[in-house]
Amino acid sequence: MTSLPFIEKYRANNLNQIKGQDSAIAEARMFLKMFPKKKALIINGPAGNGKTSIVLALAKENDMELFELNASDLRNRASLEAVLKPASLQNSLFKKSKIILMDEADGITGTDRGGVPELIALIEKTKFPIIITANDIWDKKFSLLRQKCQIINLRELNENIVLDIITEVVKKECKKITPENLVLIANKCKGDIRAALNDLESVLNLGEEMRIENIDEREKDIGIFEALKKIFQMPLDKKTLEVFDDVDMEIDEIMLWMEENIPSEYYGKPLAKAYDSLSKADLFKGRIYRQQYWRFLVYQNFFLSAGISASTKLKNKEFKKYNRPTRILKIWMANQKNAKKKSLILKYARFNHMSVKKAMKEYFLLPLIINEKMKKTLDLDDNEIDYLQDKRGALILSSGLNKFRV
Amino acid sequence: MENFEDSTIWTEKYRPKKFEEVVGQDDIIKRVHSLTRTMNIPHFLFAGPAGTGKSTLALIVVKELFGNTWKENYLELNASDERGIDVIRQKVKDFARTKAIGKVPFKVIFLDEADALTKEAQQALRRTMENFTNTCRFIMSANYSSKIIDPIQSRCVIFRFKLLEKKDIEKRVRVIAEKERLQIDDKTIESLYESSEGDCRRVINLLQASSSISPNITVELLNTLISNAKPADIKVVLEYALSGDFIKAKEKLLDVMLRDSISGTDIIKSIQKETWNLQIDNELKVKLTEKTGEIEFRLVEGSDEFIQLEALLASFVLAGRGVMK
Repeated sequence: MTSLPFIEKYRANNLNQIKGQDSAIAEARMFLKMFPKKKALIINGPAGNGKTSIVLALAKENDMELFELNASDLRNRASLEAVLKPASLQNSLFKKSKIILMDEADGITGTDRGGVPELIALIEKTKFPIIITANDIWDKKFSLLRQKCQIINLRELNENIVLDIITEVVKKECKKITPENLVLIANKCKGDIRAALNDLESVLNLGEEMRIENIDEREKDIGIFEALKKIFQMPLDKKTLEVFDDVDMEIDEIMLWMEENIPSEYYGKPLAKAYDSLSKADLFKGRIYRQQYWRFLVYQNFFLSAGISASTKLKNKEFKKYNRPTRILKIWMANQKNAKKKSLILKYARFNHMSVKKAMKEYFLLPLIINEKMKKTLDLDDNEIDYLQDKRGALILSSGLNKFRV
Repeated sequence: MENFEDSTIWTEKYRPKKFEEVVGQDDIIKRVHSLTRTMNIPHFLFAGPAGTGKSTLALIVVKELFGNTWKENYLELNASDERGIDVIRQKVKDFARTKAIGKVPFKVIFLDEADALTKEAQQALRRTMENFTNTCRFIMSANYSSKIIDPIQSRCVIFRFKLLEKKDIEKRVRVIAEKERLQIDDKTIESLYESSEGDCRRVINLLQASSSISPNITVELLNTLISNAKPADIKVVLEYALSGDFIKAKEKLLDVMLRDSISGTDIIKSIQKETWNLQIDNELKVKLTEKTGEIEFRLVEGSDEFIQLEALLASFVLAGRGVMK
């Protein structure tokens, strides 16, 4: 047996071997048949569900040559044309027709660097069908490209199909593995057959004793919601410490999420304990900044995850909708609001020989003290006067001061 | 009907212009007055609570010294507003470089809230004072003279301002009431005095604010005004926490901090003070103050002040469950 990795060794040779994507395959065949009605096809879908395999098998089935491009080729217009002229405008050497494959188009930068426009220009000129694969073709930068192409969406493979495929591979390899472990592998890969084959290969090579714990769960973004749920609602275990590894966020932002959501899960003693842990996490964060001693990150992370999780054993199991942090927004809004107030107070403070800090303490009386006539005295602008008049009106109305007026 | 007098701010309008008009600090006035008459003042340090006449006296001194040219010879600096000692030094340098106008051979720099400067900044200031001693005199004000380093204290003549008494405040209020044609009775003056805690600035501001509603100042008007206009302070936050409502407490806290741009260190200072004034068991006060101290330490060491304060509130909620309804 050759030592090719499983993912190459067991790549589908023809379209019939590709499992679980029947309707997509039918559409792809139709595209080729109808060419050049539509000149390009986009195959869109998550990683490891057979996009590239479909294209390879399609070329083989139709006895066509495959001409592969990548994103960096596109940017280099001169060399691209040199290669493509013979490729896209003439028939190939052995009278074989061609498919031009633009694999993993997500790597193309946006319009600014010319990647997408170049691709569009190429589609307009080409005499050969172009197939583009992508993980997220709905990204804004592809909007023009989408109009030029037929689009096929590939679904995530379901667990049973993955199980079928890897069972087949085990058989062909003449190896043995317990069904439980096969199910585990299929389950963990979350529809990514490439990941499943890699895991299977490592388990078979290392022996089953090493077992499944050694297979890292694919670093799918389980997201901050999952992380919060794990901390707040599930028992504290080894995984709690790694809960933020899968969250695509800076730890500072995670701190804000925790801060926002602790009160919706904990009450009384656990609440105080949870905030105490959060406070300790922040303490270490401060020390990291000041001392540039990054090992403290371990403790920051510990208190933020395990520390908060350990605040109680009696966890809430009810579904909670976690909130986005609101504090930053509130600070921003307050700053907008305070800008007028600040310029006002500064003028008042200068006029009255006092510091801004002291003036701030008298601020609550200013709307009543400063009136239209003092505009000149304090050199106020219309904005500031309007602001004061508003405040004054609101205060008098809401407080029942009106009844004292004569 | 508003008369033309309304077009200015009373705290300035009724700021005493002469030594005789200053109330409540008789000894200080006498001594400062006689020192000023010699036309050669030493450095002054005015220590005392807010609204007792420190800035006022400094202004009277310079007006007495320089007459009409006082504005050219006087620089006012607020230690709490100027960012850092370097700014102060530069301003002092620029100001002191040119000679004084008139017959007095020096200029006067008033450094307000000098106790807001760190010890290091004060050391630097001391050098500046020495360097410009031929061309400049300093008048410094501070709430507490103990926060001013010894070398500066020893270069100054120190005056300690007393909190104004009721009779002093009353004197001032009567003058204003007469000029502004306000009606105000003894009871109202008493209440005015109590709600301002001897701070004359606050008294006059309250008076002017009330008069914008009605020239007939009553206790009722005053109380309505204060209870509605005065922003809720840290006490309300603590009461929410002690009554068990964490969410309200934390929202109020953020409100207070954002509205007046108060730093976390200032907040925790007032928490520590307010805790002692709360209507709760002494044993609980001790416990809460211990917590406050721990959190103040973390606040200084940590990075996010609000998270630290929230942690403190959460422990107030826990410690105080049931003590406040």
